[in-house]
Amino acid sequence: MKNNELQNTWKNIDAEINRKTTDELNQYLAAKCRKTMNKFLFLLSFDIVAAVGLIVFLIFTTINREGDLIYQANNLILGVITLSALIVSFLSLKKLQVNKYNLPLKEWLEQRIKLLSAWLLGKYSKLYIVLIPVLVAMIMLSIHVYYEYKPFLEVMKDGESIYGLVAGFTIGLFVSYFAVSKIRKYQLKNLEFLNDLHEQLCNIN
Amino acid sequence: MESLKEEFLEILSNYQGILHKVNLIYFRNKSEREDNFQEIIYQLWKSFPKLQNKNSIGSWIYAVSINTSISRLKKESRIVYREKLPELIDKFDLIEELTFSDASRRLLKAIYNLNEIDKSIMLLYLEEKSYDEIAEILGISKSNVGVRINRAKEALKQNLSHEK
Repeated sequence: MKNNELQNTWKNIDAEINRKTTDELNQYLAAKCRKTMNKFLFLLSFDIVAAVGLIVFLIFTTINREGDLIYQANNLILGVITLSALIVSFLSLKKLQVNKYNLPLKEWLEQRIKLLSAWLLGKYSKLYIVLIPVLVAMIMLSIHVYYEYKPFLEVMKDGESIYGLVAGFTIGLFVSYFAVSKIRKYQLKNLEFLNDLHEQLCNIN
Repeated sequence: MESLKEEFLEILSNYQGILHKVNLIYFRNKSEREDNFQEIIYQLWKSFPKLQNKNSIGSWIYAVSINTSISRLKKESRIVYREKLPELIDKFDLIEELTFSDASRRLLKAIYNLNEIDKSIMLLYLEEKSYDEIAEILGISKSNVGVRINRAKEALKQNLSHEK
């Protein structure tokens, strides 16, 4: 096909396209707005329910364990981390929602690459390796010590409790790392894809 | 708000061909195209209030449509797949519900076989956009546009010869 033939065929495609009415377009827009809002609310409410649930548990158990300072300190630190995680996840979710699609392709690719790179490869990207075991251990301790109905130090001296804690910690750690690595792998593929596209766009050699 | 929405829907109605064409070159099946069509409309609506220059509506719609489509593509299911298994493209269910002519189908299949960037270059070239407009939509220099168009045309012609 010659150039003008290509363009004529393309014009035919344009003419052959089945166009939507304004009403249909309006319905598409309304449906998508609803779906997006529901997804955002679902993610947010899941986050809030999990974090608030944990905070309520921590407050309740801390009050019931008056005098056990180590247990209370554990719960306090866990509470602060949970609250911070809730705020950070809310802000990150908002940031991810603001995707400026109206930029030129190259600029848009660079913006997404920068955002994903900071998250996946930036200064604090490996923090999860340290944070996950600490959090899992603290949550395990908080739940286990409370339901043993003994002071923190006594539970730590009990061999059976230690076995239980180690087993719970190992399972919790495995599940958490597995989930995080799945998400990271998916996002790393996205980043690689965006980098490839950027390369395709900018490399003229 | 209502008048803004009416204005948006009127523009969308007039320019919807762009959305359909971007969809056709990036997605192989109907459900993917339907999802992406909705997503583009939503992204256009989100950025519509910030649209300053009403003279460049076309460029804005192209940019949002291309960027939205690209963001939905997943590397593992598209680029590698297509390069390694070209025979699968024959199963391209492009137009399961539409009635395109044979020439149109051949051209669409050939464009679909291009890489993601060449697809957008070819789309804008076939839409008879100027180098300036293409450079603005893609964010690259005019000289780069010229080089890329020639390469994309060559690749397209090769794909078309395979389609015969």
